[in-house]
Amino acid sequence: MSMKIDRRSFLALGVGGAVGTALTPLPWKIQDDLAIWTQMWPWTPDPPGGANTYVNTVSPLCGSGCGVTVRKVGERAVKIEGRKDFPTNEGGLCNLCAAGLQMLYGPTRVPFPMKRIGERGANEWQRISWEEAISMLAEQLGEIRQAGQPETVCCLSGRRYGSMPDLLKRFMTAYGSPNFTVMPSMADGYDMMLKRMHGVEGRVGFDLGKADYILSFGSGLIEGWGNTAYMIRINSLWKENNATIKQIEPRLSNTAAKADQWIPITPGTEVLLALGIAYVIIKESLYNYDFVNNYASGFEALRSFVLSGYSPGNVAKQTGVDQSTIVTLAREFARSRRPLALCGRGQGHVPGALGGYVAVHLLNALVGNINRPGGVWALPRPAMEGWPEPMLDAQAQAGMAKPRLDGAGGPAFPFAEQLANRLPQAITAGRPYPLKALLVYEANPVFSMPGAAAVRQALQQVPFIVSFATHMDETAAIADLILPNHAHLERWDDVAVTAGYNRPLVGLAQAVVAPQQDTMHTGDVFLQVAATLGGSLAASLAWNDYAACLQEGHAAHWADLEENGYWLDRSYAPETWSFAFPTPSGKFDFTASDGDLKALFAPIPAEGDGGSYNLKLIAYDSVRIANGAVGSPPFLIKTVSDKVLEGNTLLVDVNPETAQAAGFREGDAALLKTPLGSASVRVHLSPDLMPGLVAIPRGLGHTAYDDYLAEKGINANDLIGPVEDPASGLDATWGILASLVKA
Amino acid sequence: MSKSDDTKHVAGERQEKAPDTSGTGASILLFFVIGFALSLVVGWGIFPKLLYSKKKQPVDFNHAMHLELVDEGCQSCHFFRADGSFSGAPTLAQCIGCHDEMQGDTANEMNFYENYIQKDREVPWLIYAKQPQCVFFSHVAHVKMANMDCVTCHGFIGDSTQLPIYEQNRISLYSRNIWGKNIGGFKENTWDRMKMDDCSECHVREGVRQASVQTAKGGCFVCHK
Amino acid sequence: MTQTGDFGKPKRYGMVIDLDKCTGCGTCMVACMAENNVPFKKDESDKLKSITWMRVYRLTNGKPYPDNEICYLPRPCQHCAGKHEGHSPCVSVCPATATDYDKDTGIVSQIYTRCFGCRYCMAACPYHARYFNWWDPVWPKGMEKYLNPNVSARMRGIVEKCGFCFQRYQKAMEQANMEGRRELEEHEYQTACTQACPAGAITFGDLYNPHHKVHQMAQPDFTKGGRPRNPKAFRLLEELQTNPKVYYMSSKEWVRKAGYKPDLLDHQAAEH
Repeated sequence: MSMKIDRRSFLALGVGGAVGTALTPLPWKIQDDLAIWTQMWPWTPDPPGGANTYVNTVSPLCGSGCGVTVRKVGERAVKIEGRKDFPTNEGGLCNLCAAGLQMLYGPTRVPFPMKRIGERGANEWQRISWEEAISMLAEQLGEIRQAGQPETVCCLSGRRYGSMPDLLKRFMTAYGSPNFTVMPSMADGYDMMLKRMHGVEGRVGFDLGKADYILSFGSGLIEGWGNTAYMIRINSLWKENNATIKQIEPRLSNTAAKADQWIPITPGTEVLLALGIAYVIIKESLYNYDFVNNYASGFEALRSFVLSGYSPGNVAKQTGVDQSTIVTLAREFARSRRPLALCGRGQGHVPGALGGYVAVHLLNALVGNINRPGGVWALPRPAMEGWPEPMLDAQAQAGMAKPRLDGAGGPAFPFAEQLANRLPQAITAGRPYPLKALLVYEANPVFSMPGAAAVRQALQQVPFIVSFATHMDETAAIADLILPNHAHLERWDDVAVTAGYNRPLVGLAQAVVAPQQDTMHTGDVFLQVAATLGGSLAASLAWNDYAACLQEGHAAHWADLEENGYWLDRSYAPETWSFAFPTPSGKFDFTASDGDLKALFAPIPAEGDGGSYNLKLIAYDSVRIANGAVGSPPFLIKTVSDKVLEGNTLLVDVNPETAQAAGFREGDAALLKTPLGSASVRVHLSPDLMPGLVAIPRGLGHTAYDDYLAEKGINANDLIGPVEDPASGLDATWGILASLVKA
Repeated sequence: MSKSDDTKHVAGERQEKAPDTSGTGASILLFFVIGFALSLVVGWGIFPKLLYSKKKQPVDFNHAMHLELVDEGCQSCHFFRADGSFSGAPTLAQCIGCHDEMQGDTANEMNFYENYIQKDREVPWLIYAKQPQCVFFSHVAHVKMANMDCVTCHGFIGDSTQLPIYEQNRISLYSRNIWGKNIGGFKENTWDRMKMDDCSECHVREGVRQASVQTAKGGCFVCHK
Repeated sequence: MTQTGDFGKPKRYGMVIDLDKCTGCGTCMVACMAENNVPFKKDESDKLKSITWMRVYRLTNGKPYPDNEICYLPRPCQHCAGKHEGHSPCVSVCPATATDYDKDTGIVSQIYTRCFGCRYCMAACPYHARYFNWWDPVWPKGMEKYLNPNVSARMRGIVEKCGFCFQRYQKAMEQANMEGRRELEEHEYQTACTQACPAGAITFGDLYNPHHKVHQMAQPDFTKGGRPRNPKAFRLLEELQTNPKVYYMSSKEWVRKAGYKPDLLDHQAAEH
């Protein structure tokens, strides 16, 4: 008999299958596995484990040179932490350092040596080998030298002290070019002030921890002025010791917010306020008689100058600071046990006029707070003491005898050592001679110098630009040759901790991880180029590798550096007053070696014609935005307020009163115009700014890097240009005239 | 006893007893049983084979032989680091202590020596007990503080002369050892499974930090990260 | 009841943040992101969608120029104990047992693989300390190399928040166990933000332990839900009785008063 197979049979098959399946692990197991799959997508990274190690180093990422300890898991660096036993930061960090691994591992690194093949700035590159890269550089430099024009090569360094800038300077000297230049900063102003008032070629240090009354003329004390993390620690120390902090600046910055008093001041008039305070101190005889009478010269000249025109009444009118406030500040300052007056606007990237440094420093001098606990100290500059003198052949000597491109040390600016701000105009003018080659080390002038467009234009005229950038920044983008340096955690390096630290301190950076890209230490590049060029240049840079040259330079302290990672002269004490001032008079010079005090102290006007511009634009340094040679890593940009960036649009701070008068409401679109250009922005009504001003942060508006940074906001340096201080040649710009127009 | 034999037998009987029925009931039953049986075969037999991919270890390691040669048992190679973390599978740097030269001339040793030692390449061991990335497991808490044996969780892998085939779940990508060899999830020994419930079972029994407000059992952060 | 056996005395891990010292530099935020594998996007200017377990708020006294004042206020998860222990706003609403209160440490945990993204906890949290992953985290090429293996990476569709760097507790405990200890020294378990803060404004430790600095600074009164006895100390939104374990200190009265404003951490309170 045949079996009937119908629809119901198949249903039965299905039901049987279902019942059977339910009695197997299949449905339950699949359910469990699917749940796991959806909880942990296979594309969610599972960072590999491994042995934990901690490697001590110093971070050469910014100039602070904080001691850090890098946590590694296996070969990966996974966290940068502060070194608790490091003399400056004592375990703390700044946010840039904390985000430092994004700079090490990020995709904006220059991956290998490359040469430009397209138009300048077209971002078309060809990978070349290191041999080819070095021979290209050597060949170019060799040709220029053979033509007898070594002075037409300029090296621009973002770092001032340490083995690397010293090695570059040594290379340039032996090569025959006087044009080794460091990016401008307040150190230029302080150095020049020391020369003119102390007669010392050195650097300043501040005995900050012991100061009990701090008068800050716009210095972003906790926003990147000096050594960032160290300054924030000092600020806490000040709070613990009940020190008084007075912050003088037009904007309620973080520093002003944390100060005991914020004293808003019309921008650019700080020098007048300092002189007004000096007036009260002199007039009321609150100054230190011992210092002024026995260890200083030129006091009478200063006295009559100050008393003739800087009464609190006069100064109040020009600065917007009350007469009574000026008198109070003067009395409090002079009567404090350890008062300290500081200057250098914001993070001090733009030095400002020399008059400001002199005016502020004479307050310290009037109270005798020089080379004393809690005061301003003149310290020797860090140097590579273990190196022999470089050898100069006839060509090098001839080159070195030529005037510098930037005019520093020349007849106009005899006290200046470098004036990088004057480089672009010298390049454009081709005077005193045309520049043939520019070597850029840890600097991004095309982005970070005021008048960025003019800087870019000037650099476009240089036939050969070599960048040693670790990251593809704006300057590297217009280079002809990029020879990428190892990143900050991949290389041996030293950081001479200066920036106002009052003891000689050198930190040693070591290679924490192996190079992640096909990079080479810039020190080694120069040693190899020198060897290729031969002669006295090779003899002057005769080390086998950079490590050897680093070690020889620090021979006297190498044991300390190797064992502790730093060398600190704990017992350092500044010269006593009797021996501190090698000026012609042997005394502190209140006139700053200048016969024309009026010109020295004249406030520098902002660029622009007052008629068509009714506002003043000032740029501020934010501690949340990296603003030096490196761009902000993504974590930093993430901490930027939505009152600064909205999407990629910049919000500009305007006092509500000013904004309302111009008909602006919160968030309104506007066109910000200055004599240099204009930019689309939005308006943020902020009571944290004096009326009549517009404020924007520095460090935004990158065109290089990637989408995490590029095109966000505007570059303040596109809208604000340099203004030369006639007395010193320093860039004295503090802002520019501007207008806000409804868009 | 095979399940399919049963099925045929039962079906045959039914047909004989009720020849006059339309056959529908019998065929329904037959097909039900066929479906039932097939699904059991699929669910218990074929499904586990499909669910897991099989991978051979890059080097066939002989635990038993190595254990005879070392002084400190498992911890000779699977040791605690000074910070209390557990080293897990040895790295080349450890092996090289003895294997800087070829030890014997087996094919296995040749493979290890030529492909890894000479090339300075880490052996990409497949870790049977690898827990997912959301799990924090502290060996030191179990071995040093609770005095547990390796065997309790890992079984007698130390006595093996060959490494078992590594089976990986195609969906969850877990090692089969987490769910256990038994596809039904049944276990006889403590080391048969390594799922959360297995950890929890012991933690509840031993009263390990039963401080969770939500579950009144162990706090989630005890074992998760 | 808590069965602690010989697993050590219960702790109340907590934090004291000195607002007089906080400079608003944001290092705590960055250190937290670096430690905890916190994702980031190309545009982080929409702060409602920007994941910052630790966020520095910017409080103002609301006065016009030039009498305006600013105070920076870092806000991690407050690890609320609630009216009775474990009655944290978030824990009590979680339907997935994804967030939990551990009576041994007082820490509110978040288990990402458990979370299914209903976001009840976000609605419940009065401190806006919880964040939702609207997208799968993506690290630019190469950056996944710095990820911390002690913290699991998250996926889209789940909520995440500060866990007082619990992975550091786990690590410290491994070290202690290695030395045969079950109790940690104060310095052995510190959060990433505490450690990185250059101002030393953040102090972390066991609020129960009279030898720990947090106890001495905040002087919590556990008979009154942990209210601080130190007159300079306060907690955010104290009257909600969330019983948080993060204490703030300020010498300024307007700042201490601001801590009680219900709209304190609303988006309008711009962070800088």
